[in-house]
Amino acid sequence: MIEEASAPPSPRWHSRLPPAAWLALVIIAALALLAGVKGPVEAGQATINGLVDAGYVALGAVGLTLIFGILRIINFAHGDFLTLGAYVALMIAASGLPIWLAAALAILVTAAVAAALDKLVWEPMRRMQTSTLQLLLAAIGIALVLRYTIQFFAGSQVRSFGQDILSAVNLGPWHLGTLQLVALLAGIALIVAVGLGLRFTAVGKQMRALSDNMALAEVTGIDTRGAIRLTWIVAGALAAIAGILYAAAVGTINPNFGSLILLSLFTAAVLGGIGNAYGALLGGIVIGLAQEWSTLFLNARWKPAVGFAILILTLLVLPRGIFGRVPART
Amino acid sequence: MSILNADFWIGVGVIAGIYGIFALGLQLNVGLTGLLNLGQAGFMCIGAYAMGMLVVDAGWPILATLPVAIAAAVLAGVLVGLPSLRLRSDYFAIATIAFAEIVRYVLQNAAFAGGNQGIIGYDAEWRDFAAWASDRLAAIGLGEQMQLPLLFSIWLVFALCVAVLRWLRRTPWGRVLTAIREDEDAAAALGKNVLAFKLQSLAIAAALAAIAGFFLALNVTYLYPGEFDPTFTFFGYAVLILGGFASYGGVVLGTIVLWTLIEGLRFLDLPLSSGEVGSLRFVLVGLTLVVLSMARPQGLLGRRAEMQLRQ
Amino acid sequence: MTHSAGSPAPPILVVEDVHKSFGGVRAVAGASFALQRGAITALIGPNGAGKTTLFDLITGFAAPDAGAIRFEGKPIEGLPPHSVTRRGLVRTFQLTRVFAAMTVLDNMMLAGRGQPGEGLLQLIARRTAGQRVEGEVRERALAALHRFDLDGKAGDYAGTLSGGQRKLLELARALMTDPTLVLLDEPMAGVNRVLGSRLLDDVEELRRTAGMTFLFVEHDMDIVMRRADHVIVMAEGAVIAEGSPDAIRADPRVIDAYLGQARSRT
Repeated sequence: MIEEASAPPSPRWHSRLPPAAWLALVIIAALALLAGVKGPVEAGQATINGLVDAGYVALGAVGLTLIFGILRIINFAHGDFLTLGAYVALMIAASGLPIWLAAALAILVTAAVAAALDKLVWEPMRRMQTSTLQLLLAAIGIALVLRYTIQFFAGSQVRSFGQDILSAVNLGPWHLGTLQLVALLAGIALIVAVGLGLRFTAVGKQMRALSDNMALAEVTGIDTRGAIRLTWIVAGALAAIAGILYAAAVGTINPNFGSLILLSLFTAAVLGGIGNAYGALLGGIVIGLAQEWSTLFLNARWKPAVGFAILILTLLVLPRGIFGRVPART
Repeated sequence: MSILNADFWIGVGVIAGIYGIFALGLQLNVGLTGLLNLGQAGFMCIGAYAMGMLVVDAGWPILATLPVAIAAAVLAGVLVGLPSLRLRSDYFAIATIAFAEIVRYVLQNAAFAGGNQGIIGYDAEWRDFAAWASDRLAAIGLGEQMQLPLLFSIWLVFALCVAVLRWLRRTPWGRVLTAIREDEDAAAALGKNVLAFKLQSLAIAAALAAIAGFFLALNVTYLYPGEFDPTFTFFGYAVLILGGFASYGGVVLGTIVLWTLIEGLRFLDLPLSSGEVGSLRFVLVGLTLVVLSMARPQGLLGRRAEMQLRQ
Repeated sequence: MTHSAGSPAPPILVVEDVHKSFGGVRAVAGASFALQRGAITALIGPNGAGKTTLFDLITGFAAPDAGAIRFEGKPIEGLPPHSVTRRGLVRTFQLTRVFAAMTVLDNMMLAGRGQPGEGLLQLIARRTAGQRVEGEVRERALAALHRFDLDGKAGDYAGTLSGGQRKLLELARALMTDPTLVLLDEPMAGVNRVLGSRLLDDVEELRRTAGMTFLFVEHDMDIVMRRADHVIVMAEGAVIAEGSPDAIRADPRVIDAYLGQARSRT
């Protein structure tokens, strides 16, 4: 209904670069700067730690951002999907099954729970005309039910994957726990895989189309109901993976961990532009690195505060996020 | 202990009153202005800590700290609101919960507030007063329960707050808030400074949170940051949806129903550990939120008409 | 410099070369016009010509990328909506926006200006003044509702009104702000002919008795030709013609704009 401008503005060189390449350039420049100031060993160690964190933040944030983009639900229960995935994996592994099988089963269980919640709660609410408030309260309610059901069965004590928590490897001058190394490699591989999946698979394209413009996607004949169910399944599965990576990276978990890192996931999603799945992946990498890099200058206990600061600054200064999508102002 | 036991009901009354005052602010924001404030626990935390630190570190008389505690929370409300109230409503919700987490996080880690050990020893004056009041109450046959002075104080203030808020609702000021809830663009087009009214709504909610925090501190005898996690705010929302949105009377009803249910769980005589019963309480509150937001979005005891017209 | 006896009064609103784009799409591209005081002006143009965006820019709901907007000789571009309204420039919306869960009377009373009861401090400090003003606002609101035949609905929720009644309420409510210039976005859309013609009679009477100025967007050319003193035609974000209804009817550029639109649609 509004006319296109007669000629689009001619792109300059910097707007032709894809955002990921831009981000890589900025990160490399920052790393070089840090290495110059603090020495390559320390800066490298913080960067490795940051990439370990980036894995679970990025994979957790993708589902959060897709669900918001498509359904306008701020899913306060998303952090508890991470908890669920990690606990199911941990419980199954404790019963003697190999860890990879336990992880696979945990991913299945969490995806099934996400799909069931869609069937039981979200789909009926889509059929009603619901307000933001209703969606928010339902999400908070689900978060409490998930978290405390887990706590009911598993207790509130701290748990870990067991004996290999202390084993470590040396990579040149840098140290890394064996589990952390696994989390690092799996995290990076999965970020790349999810990014490619969103770009090239039919499912990924469909979810991005929905997240872009729900109304348009409906008109173009996408089976929105099926696509939404599928998005929940993907979000649940990725959250379970993120939860397991968290357990591996940090070593110990309690039933609150998912709700505690939920704000980091929000930060990654907002930073990447809410609704933008690639943005969430890249936002996760930024958050992971920024928090660990901050330990070069500040006491490590302020690490989460750096995340909060990024969230607040992004909301205030750049509410569309770095890569843009949903306008944040009324 | 039986369900007819006075201690049980006094305990329910104290906690219900504290959550009630807390939820009045949420009602003003959510039910009457349309603001999804998820940071109420943060304002409460600021109020409670201001009181505790002024008594313990500065030696203030406890009652003198109340206005300062309220002022601190109001100031925080204005500082948080000024930038974040310009955001879309769902982003505002994220911004406020982030604020509350920052408050909690700073108190856990900064040197000035006792960290995770928290603050203790601010309530000596109150205990003296409570003992004195208990003696007076004994004269009329109510001397057995030490919590009675607290219960009476809380409900006196609670009732006062309800009365003031109900009066405010009927003023032209309240009329503007309702219009903003209904359609803020239309309100702006009619010459109302929407941001200023939202800011006032948030500041008053923060003040109510500070008052609730004051009484919470008296009830728990020591303050630590973990007390003020977002779950506290979520319980406030459970009060709202039980009692009904856009009604202050509903808050009174909702908080009594919620805490009777939660505390009454122990009479079910379940074969569970106390930890398991604790978890069950939260599951129950979560289920209440999910089921009611689906089945009765206007609240269990709320009026349907007002909610439907809003669609 | 002196004006000759016949020189026209200065315009009430001047829009000068205003531009607005949304993400590379130009909604308003160099629109300019002036509104004569006390006139009823129609703003017409094909869908997507930028009429509603222009309303948004004039009333502060969006800030222009470039250009100037002057109301009563003073610049107002970029002011927030409530400041624009307080200066006497009020608007209605294309899709009616009544406060559904408030009564019709409360919808009206809300819009009254200068109410001490809207200030938290004044509620206490100026209690009696507040009550007096509240009484006056109520009287005015009831009188206005009577004039628009809505007094029987005063106590009903506005959400229960019919589409036509909502349009009337929105106009009546806008008038409660004591405007000198009223912008109406498709006031006749969804209103039956009898009610719509009532509404326009009211507009004409307000112009006559209170000297108010009106600018309205309308698609029904019949209404435009009969009711407007002056017509402004927009297409593709700019004003392409303006003049008396008769002149506009005969203007080839206008016919072209509409036919061009029709051609591109098929």
